[in-house]
Amino acid sequence: MGGIVLKTTDLTKKYNNKAVVDNLNIEIKQGEIFGLLGPNGAGKSTTMNMICSIVRPTAGEIELLGKNPWKQKKEVIHKVGYIPQELAVHGNLKAWENVELFTSLYGIKGEQLKKAVNESLEYVGLLERKQEFAKNFSGGMKRRLNIACAIGHHPELLIFDEPTVGIDPQSRNFILDKIKESNKRGATVIYTSHYMEEVEAICTRIAIMDNGKVIACGTSEELKRLVNGDDEHITLEEVFLTLTGKKLRDYTE
Amino acid sequence: MIRYLIKNNFKLMFRNTWSIVVMLLGPILVIAVLSSAFTELMKSYEGVDEFSVGYRLQEAADGHMIESAKAAGEEAGILFYEYPEGDIQDVMEKNELAGFVEFSEDGYVVYKSGDYEVEGITLEYFMHRAMQEGVNAVLRMEEQDVTLPVTELEFMPAVDSVDYYGIIYIVYFCWCCSICATGVLGNEKKYGIVRRFQVSNISETQNYLSKFIPLTLVVSVAMAVTTGITILLFDIHWGNPILSAFLVFMMIMAGNALSLMLYNISDNLVITVIMLFMVVWFMGFFGGSFETYMFSSWPDLLKQLSPIYHGNRALVELSCMGKSDYVAGSLLYSLAVTVICSVIAIMAGSIRKRGRA
Ligand SMILES: Nc1ncnc2c1ncn2[C@@H]1O[C@H](COP(=O)(O)OP(=O)(O)OP(=O)(O)O)[C@@H](O)[C@H]1O
Ligand SMILES: [Mg+2]
Repeated sequence: MGGIVLKTTDLTKKYNNKAVVDNLNIEIKQGEIFGLLGPNGAGKSTTMNMICSIVRPTAGEIELLGKNPWKQKKEVIHKVGYIPQELAVHGNLKAWENVELFTSLYGIKGEQLKKAVNESLEYVGLLERKQEFAKNFSGGMKRRLNIACAIGHHPELLIFDEPTVGIDPQSRNFILDKIKESNKRGATVIYTSHYMEEVEAICTRIAIMDNGKVIACGTSEELKRLVNGDDEHITLEEVFLTLTGKKLRDYTE
Repeated sequence: MIRYLIKNNFKLMFRNTWSIVVMLLGPILVIAVLSSAFTELMKSYEGVDEFSVGYRLQEAADGHMIESAKAAGEEAGILFYEYPEGDIQDVMEKNELAGFVEFSEDGYVVYKSGDYEVEGITLEYFMHRAMQEGVNAVLRMEEQDVTLPVTELEFMPAVDSVDYYGIIYIVYFCWCCSICATGVLGNEKKYGIVRRFQVSNISETQNYLSKFIPLTLVVSVAMAVTTGITILLFDIHWGNPILSAFLVFMMIMAGNALSLMLYNISDNLVITVIMLFMVVWFMGFFGGSFETYMFSSWPDLLKQLSPIYHGNRALVELSCMGKSDYVAGSLLYSLAVTVICSVIAIMAGSIRKRGRA
């Protein structure tokens, strides 16, 4: 434990001169499950995309596993597993073909690839259905497949961008359990969501983000104390609403 | 490592049933419709015998040129007789002439007869070629005794309309069949799959090849099947099978590179498809896809610019004469288009990736 996996310094992204991510400073240590919590449009996905070298930052520094993901992409990107917010799978490919396609991007091949595909599918509980086309999967199964496509190369850092949107409690709990399991096996996890219970259940540390800024960061106890002094009888949801306000999000003011 | 990418992209394109069906049926339907529509014209054209035409010189017309044209015409089966006097229409009727040419100082006028439609077209084309050769000769300062190179007038290979359209529409479809990649490209964008590629180490070149190779395979297989069906259904005669297949294959590659380039530049499928169809339509328009290239009167430069013209001409001449001066040119042209478009596609892709907002 202890090494720093991710550090951002004044990370900023502007669209049309409006800062969507605004001087963001976060530091994530090895072995953590770091929760990034925030309302719609807070800039969570944009932050993740900058870290994964998908969206170019306007300003600021990123240090990912000791490297700059924009300048030293080749040396570091294969250590990252990115699970996008969208269901990024091909409907016209079977489950196993999807996993094979995306796992092969990391240079895994032959028997090793076959093994990795089966392991990934088993991990998300889709092994028996590997011969089915992704387009025929239910929403929850697609979510699980979406995860399977990003873990075959055993990444050191797993980035989940809202992996539980639109699925039932059983699938959600399954996914949360799996995230904890990956963490136990040694992966550091960044977990993005706007569901309080989830974040509280699995994350070791939580950052609350709004309007592109981190407005609070700490363990769930620390956050509760921050809002309500010594009163422990507050839910994280109340903390969240207190800190981010009750106004409807994604509105242009 | 792009082996698996190629394999799965191939599966994706192959499973895109809709585009495969269009690719297979498109050429068959078009060939069936067009070849029967033009059968009349082409059939008689094929069997055109020697025929007589009249001519007349206005005072300042260049006599040398006309003598050469006469000689060349005789070789090509067109007999010229001089009729200095009388109303042209009367003269034509009285002497059963298939056409009449009136030479003047700055050109000539061709009169055609309704009874000799095909001969009229042939005469027109002959005059066009003969004058072109004549002008070239003058430009080369051979003002005296211009002899028109008769070999050049092998312009009338006896190609039958079914063969012509059977070949030309396979060529045309080769250039636009790359649309069967749209399914893959569209999904990659729509479902954010491109992001997965970005969070990996595959290069723009690998990404390009992982589309280009399966696309070329799928289109080649589909074209082979559809060509086979048209041969069985319409009895189309291709020339040298290996050489013809190679010419077609090279054009498939060029068409694919062209459309992938358009996509990487525009990053928009609708624009890509519209642009591709427009470019191919223009190339076909000047290259003989709609109007047979033998009779089309487009300036030679426009024809020469169209890679479809080179391909059509090479393949049609291979079919009806067994040889063609256009084979090497067509191959080189396709290769050049493939290489240049691929390079631009890869460059455009990496610029887009680097600057992605
Ligand atoms: N390409 C873009 N161009 C312009 N604005 C953008 C672009 N991408 C994102 N934005 C804006 O940036 C803001 C943050 O978006 P982001 O997707 O990071 O939010 P989020 O926190 O992930 O929200 P959600 O919970 O809804 O996923 C939004 O207001 C969005 O409109
Ligand atoms: Mg998001």
